[in-house]
Formats: sequence, structure tokens, C-alpha cells
Amino acid sequence: MLQNYFPILLFVIVGLMVGVGPIVLGKLVSPNRPDPEKLSPYECGFEAFEDTRMRFDVRYYLVAILFILFDLEIAFLFPWAVVLKEIGMFGFGAMLVFLAILTIGFIYEWKKGALEWE
Amino acid sequence: MEFIQGLLGEQAGLVVWTLLKIVAIVAPMMLAVAYLTLAERKVIGYMQLRIGPNRVGPYGLLQPIADGVKLLLKEIILPAKSNKALFIIGPILSIAPALAAWAVVPFTDTLVLANIDASLLYIMAVTSMGVYGVIIAGWAANSKYSFLGAMRSAAQIVSYEIAMGFALVTVLMVSGSLNLVEIVNQQGRGMGGGSILSWNLIPLFPMFIVYLIAGVAETNRAPFDVAEGESEIVAGFHVEYSGMAFAVFFLAEYANMILIAALTSLMFLGGWLSPFPASWGLLGASGFIWLALKISLVLFCFLWFRATFPRYRYDQIMRLGWKVFIPVTLVWVVVVGAWMMSPLSLWQ
Amino acid sequence: MNWADLNLMPALPEIFLLAALSFILVLDLFIPDEKRDVTYGLSLLTLAACAALQLATFEPFATTTFSGMFVDDPMADIIKVAMYGVTAAVLVYTRQYVADRGMFRGEYYTLSLFALLGMNVMVSSSHFLTLYIGLELLSLALYALIALRRDSAAGTEAAMKYFVLGALASGMLLYGMSMVYGATGSLAISEIAAAIASGHSNAVLLVFGLVFLVAGLAFKLGAVPFHMWVPDVYQGSPTAVTLMLGAAPKLAAFVFIIRILVQGMGELSGDWQGMLVLIAALSMMIGNVAAIAQTNIKRMLAYSTISHMGFLLLGLLAANEQGYASAMFYAMVYVLTTLAGFGVLLALSHAGFECEKLEDLKGLNQRNSWYAFLMLLVMFSMAGIPPLAGFYAKFAVIKSVVDLGAVNMGFGMVSALYLAVFAVMMSLVGAFYYLRVVKNMYFDDKQSDAPIVVRGEMKVLLSVNALALLVLGVLPQGLIELCIEAMRQSLAVL
Repeated sequence: MLQNYFPILLFVIVGLMVGVGPIVLGKLVSPNRPDPEKLSPYECGFEAFEDTRMRFDVRYYLVAILFILFDLEIAFLFPWAVVLKEIGMFGFGAMLVFLAILTIGFIYEWKKGALEWE
Repeated sequence: MEFIQGLLGEQAGLVVWTLLKIVAIVAPMMLAVAYLTLAERKVIGYMQLRIGPNRVGPYGLLQPIADGVKLLLKEIILPAKSNKALFIIGPILSIAPALAAWAVVPFTDTLVLANIDASLLYIMAVTSMGVYGVIIAGWAANSKYSFLGAMRSAAQIVSYEIAMGFALVTVLMVSGSLNLVEIVNQQGRGMGGGSILSWNLIPLFPMFIVYLIAGVAETNRAPFDVAEGESEIVAGFHVEYSGMAFAVFFLAEYANMILIAALTSLMFLGGWLSPFPASWGLLGASGFIWLALKISLVLFCFLWFRATFPRYRYDQIMRLGWKVFIPVTLVWVVVVGAWMMSPLSLWQ
Repeated sequence: MNWADLNLMPALPEIFLLAALSFILVLDLFIPDEKRDVTYGLSLLTLAACAALQLATFEPFATTTFSGMFVDDPMADIIKVAMYGVTAAVLVYTRQYVADRGMFRGEYYTLSLFALLGMNVMVSSSHFLTLYIGLELLSLALYALIALRRDSAAGTEAAMKYFVLGALASGMLLYGMSMVYGATGSLAISEIAAAIASGHSNAVLLVFGLVFLVAGLAFKLGAVPFHMWVPDVYQGSPTAVTLMLGAAPKLAAFVFIIRILVQGMGELSGDWQGMLVLIAALSMMIGNVAAIAQTNIKRMLAYSTISHMGFLLLGLLAANEQGYASAMFYAMVYVLTTLAGFGVLLALSHAGFECEKLEDLKGLNQRNSWYAFLMLLVMFSMAGIPPLAGFYAKFAVIKSVVDLGAVNMGFGMVSALYLAVFAVMMSLVGAFYYLRVVKNMYFDDKQSDAPIVVRGEMKVLLSVNALALLVLGVLPQGLIELCIEAMRQSLAVL
């Protein structure tokens, strides 16, 4: 059983190599002629006038939190979905209760404007 | 395999044999990615009444190779204010998941590198890692365009991941398995004995549409490519990347497209099953060729979308994700559940 | 598992509460600000219906549901009915206060009900997991309630402190629970008790877990040496929320302790008795002494709470039915007193003015002698002056300690008389600052002429509440017998 996962491990390593390889190769073959202008952050030709690590919109944070909520819920739905045929009506009913509570939360966040991007 | 094991001993032989198999998957993948870029330019060219690249080699067939060589010889710029290590890790973290997911993707019902029971779960987990590449690259570059682009990209990717997850849940419900081989085989049973009528496409049609569109958004492709909308924030999170570092991002994007196309084909379009009933002889036989055709078809749609639709505004993208897809999928999960519970269920 | 195996009757009030709560949450989204009273009314109605359901499904013995994770016994019933009443009173008392401070929003009511649901689950759980889930539901709702006024620096600071320390306490509890699980192989309280009784569990691990559990419980209760958060949070929160977290959660915390220490680990009473003696004595001392130095009345009441928790623990450490019953009685009386005390403070506050300094009470008798009299009852009850309920409550817990003869301190037996004498002395110290409030009200000149405007329903309820202290002081027998009976029935089963 577990040896089925060994090729996956190898594949992940190969995947990383496919990322590392070209970059190393590029470093080796390509020229390297740095100058201050080239190395400064690109801002359409202007001098950068402010640090990049600035405050950003709180809505991204909100999206992240909502994502975690819903993603967890999907993770919860996965095992349920797989065995739905065996657990029958009872399992379906129990999940309906869960989804109903979730939907109430969804309605709440919608009406409170957590999903608005003007 | 026995031959190699005889040569290198049992353990090392196994490793080398597996590596060979992996190369046999990755090398054609890379080739496919390269020619997908050419196909994109050709297809969009013809749609816009141009001919696309035609100078390098016959019909421009050597264009991807020329592009690769050009990128290889370009300088990799490490911006002075960037976090150097993270800057390099970004593209690597972006391409590794896009490739690693292929470890469990079956090509026919026997041809699969790792036939594990939790393959879909593995794919979900691995593809979710892709967003780290974007965030890390955008943060490490220490440029405003990169940073804003990364934030937008990440928010968009996670938003559509939810709709995608719900679409997957409906597939799981009807298949009763997380194993991709089993999911395809299940589509071979039922109406028409494995023809197009028994695929998940028909009963789960709304989910197929949601999955396809979410897939486009997930890969940051047009018309959902605001993260790199050149008119607003130039190239988005990879604005500071050049040379091979940029090429790796580019590869990752196209590898992801192919992956999404393959998953769509496996989960909704019956994978390697023929669209014709099995009784139709050669036409009805299943095989890798059908999967390849289906993947090509989905990929063609990706290119077609890009040529046809104008870019969405960011708020429209988020609205579509949260206010249309999530409610629709949430309802459809319940509908499919009720359908399965009813006597009309197709999936006894 | 199928529908027939599922008897949800014991959890009916909770299920109803959740359903009503969800309904209110959604409905509130669609009603405009000026009709917010609908939410308020519906919340009160929900509480009344819950209490009615609780009484209608009352059984004089324990019943379980959800695979034995949820238990409904007489103790839980009584505490829950009390909590419905307390929450309703809190909502009534704070109606005007929250409206004056821009907190009259649906969230205030739904979060309060969520907190109540969490407490209900805590009170009714017979499994460490449900206990923990209930506790977290309560805590999360309270964190958000404290921070409800986002623009108030003190409020957000208090919420942050409470959140960080609360998370720490939860961590300790979980750590203790996991150790107990390791030692006994179960998270179900009755099975833990059985495993400990069988003597096959790892004693060292068990006692280690017990220490963490007691620390976590003391944290939640706000007993010394885990009391640091109490004064800051009481002072920083809006008074309405201070009342919310000072009242009903103490009842829930009491049952929480009974469930873990008595029902789960009663066999180890020799081990936890010593810890509780220390915690109780320190709480009584530090609470009462530190309260003297306070000029902020909310802060003073916070320290007074710490000392009262010390007294509550006195009843528990007796580790017998009489002791538990007296602790339960103490908790009820304490909550009733706190309710009336903060009620008067809320009545005296108005838009733009917080009644929270000791001077703010000066000359209250001249301004309104009725509220001064109610506050007098509260202060006398807290100080334990006969014939008020506080006296009888203190008397009962001290008596249960004296009856014990000697307590196990871990290093040896110590005469319980010392502890009793210490408790009496500490309550004498406490009398000083309670009486100072009375002196302020009756013998000092008033400092403001602002009229005291109080809504009708609050005036009535507050008066009834404070007078109940007097009635219970004169006739405590009914309630204490109820407590003894509930304890007997509830502890008999597990």
C-alpha cells in the first residue's frame, strides 16, 4: 500500500528539479551585467517613492478567512461524499443540517457586505 | 524492470525504473507545454485573421524552441531590494505542484504511475500549493506591481478553489471514490454502456461548467487574468522576473492548464472512454487517444476563451466566484444528494 | 446509525435555541435600524421559550443523547433555567445602555445567544470534547462581544487580552485533557471515572493532567494565581458586556468544574483538594485586599469577583454533596447579586457618561433613594451581612468546610478550622470596601444632578432582582434544598 506513494515522492522531487534546473542553467549561460537602474523595482520609469511593504486592503484578509472556512467545510464534505451511498438518508439529512447552518453564515456575510468589491 | 533490477540491485533498480517512468511522463508534458504556447499563438492568430508565427521552421514549428533558447540566454535579474532566496523559490514552488500532480493522473485504466485510493485528495492538496509560489514571488520581488498582482492572484485563486472543491464533491458523491481510475470506470457503467450518455457531463452539467470556468480562473487565464492585466499592473506578480526564472512561471501556467484540462476530461468527460457505445467495435473501444482528444478539446476552449472574451474587472471576478458559483454549487450538492436518495437515482 | 436511534429530546432546548438563533441572525439582516427592537423582543422570547422547553422536558434523573456525549440531568436543568433568566435580565438591563453607545445591533443579541448556547453545551456535556466545544463557543462569542465597539481603544484592548489569555487557558485545558486521555484511554467523563476507579491508569500522568486541568479551570474562573485578566477585562469592556461575562458564565464554569473534577476525577479528590485550598485561600486574600485600593468600581467588582470565586471553591473542595450544593447555591446568589449591582451601574450610566468611578455614586441617596437602597442591598449581600442572601451563601460554604474537620493539603492533613477562620477574616476585609460604597451613597454630597432615566421593564426587573436577595436571605431553604436534591440526583448516576 505505502509503496504506491513512493513514486509520488520521487515525482515531487523531479518536479522541484524541473524548477531548479532551468534557473541554474540560465544562471550559468546567461550574461550577468547588473547596474543600479536595472536592479531597482520597476515602476513605469519613475523612482520608487514609497516602500512596497505597505498596508493593503483588509478585504484580502477577509477573503483569506472566508476561504479557510469554506475550504475546511469542503474537506469535511469529502469523506461524506465518498460514502454517501452507504450512509443513505441519515447521512444525507445530517449533512443537510450542517449545510443549512453554513448557508446561514453565508447569507450573513453576504448581507453584511463581506463579499463586496467596489 | 527486471532487467534494470538485475543490473542495479532491487532497491536502486526500483528507483531508477520509477524515475524512467516519471521522465516518460514529464518529457512529453514539457513538449506539450512548449507546443501549447505555439498552438495558442496560432489559434488566436487564425481567429483574428492572422497567421501567427511562421518564420522559424516549417509553419513556425520550431518557434517554441527558439523562444526557449532566447529566454535561456537572457539575464536573470535579481532586483536589489528583493529577498533573494524567496525570489528564486517562488517559480520553483509554482511549477513543482503543477508537475507533481501528474503522479496520480491515469492515462488509461492500467497506465498510471501511482494508483492510490486518495488520488483526488492528493491532487487537491498539491494544486493548492501553487498559490504559495504566486504569493512568495510577489512578496519577494519587493515591487508594488508584483505585490498587488500577487494579492489579487492569490485572492482570485482561493476564491475559485472553493467552487472547484464543491464541483469535485458532486463528482465524489456519484462515484463513491476518490480514486481517479475508479471515477472514470464508474462513468463507463450506466446508460449507453460507456457512451457519452453515461459520462458525468450530463447529470452534472452545471458542475462541469463551473469546474471549467473555475479552472480558467484558477490558472489566471483570460478573461480572468487581471492579476497580470498589462493595462493595470503590467505583468502582475512576475513583473520583476526575467530569463529562465520567468520561463519557469510560464511553464507552470501552461502545465497547470493541461492539468486542469486532464482533470476535467477524467472527471466529467469520461477520461479514456469512447463517446460511442462499447458495442461499436473499434470506434467504441476505449484508449489513451480519446483522453488526448478530450484534453486537446478542453485546451482549445481555453484558447478560444482568450481570443473571444474581453477581460473581466476584478470586482466582477470576485462577484462571480463568491456570489454566483458558491451558491450554485452549494445548491447543486444538495440537489445531487437528493437525486441520489430518490428512486430516480442513476447511481445505484 | 439511523433516525430511530436518535433521541434528541434531552437536547431539545439547545436545538431550539440554535434554530431560533439562526432565525434571528438572518431576520436581523433584513430589518432596518429603527426596528431593531424586533431583534431584542425575539431574543427575549427565545429565552422564555427555552426556559419553558427546559421545564417541560424536565426529568428527575439524567438522560443522555448524541452517543452519550450530551447529558441532561437535574443540575444542568436548574443551572440552565437560571442562565436563561440571567441572560434575559442582562438583555433587559443593557437595552438602553447599548442603544446609547451604538451597540444596539443584531450582533449584540445573536452573540449573547451564541454565548448562552455555548454555556448550555458546557453545562450538559458528559464528554471532554463537548465540554471543550461549548467552552470555545462561549469564549469566541465573548471575545467578539467585548470588541463590539471597534472604535473604543479600551474595549479592543480588553478583548485582545481576554483572547490571548483565554487561548492560553484553553491550551492548558486541552493539554490536561489529552494527558487524562493518555492515562485513561477515554474522553467520556463516566469512562474516565471508571478507569480511575479501576486503578489501572497511569497515576503520574493522571495527576499531571489534573494539574493542567485545575490550572485551566482556575483561569476560566478567574481565581488566583490565574486572575490577572479579570480586572483589566472587566474595566475595559463596555459595562453591558462586563455584566454578560460576569454573570451567567460563572454558573457554567461552576458546572464545568463539577463535570471535570467531581464526576470525572472524583476519585482523585485527595489530589485536587490541596490545590483548591491554595487557590481558594489566595483568591480570597488577593481579591479582597486588592479591591480596597481600587477607585474604579468595575475594577473593584472584578477583584470582588476573584474573592467570590475563592469562596465558591471553598464549597467545592469539601468534596461532598453538601459542599457541592452549597457551592451551587453560592454561585446562584453571586450571579444574582452581580446582576443587580451592575444593573444599578447601567441604570446610572447614560449617553456620554459611564458610571464607573466610586465618586460617581456619591450622594446617590439624594438623587434617587430607591436605587441607592437597591445598591445597598447588593453591597450588603456581597459583604455577607445578614439577613441578605450573601450571608447565607457564605455561611453554607464555610459550614461545609468546618464539617470536613480536616483537609488534605498534599503534604498532610490540616484542620479545616484554620481555613474557615481565614475565610471569615477575609470576608471582614471585604466588608470594608463594600461599605465604603454605601458610605459614598448615603453620607456624601451628590456630584451631579443628571436625572436617572430608566426604562420601565428594567426598573421593575432590577427591583425584583435586588429584593430577591433579601427574600433569599430570609428564606434560603427552598433554593438550597433544590441544590442539594439536584446534586444528589446528578451525582448518583455517573
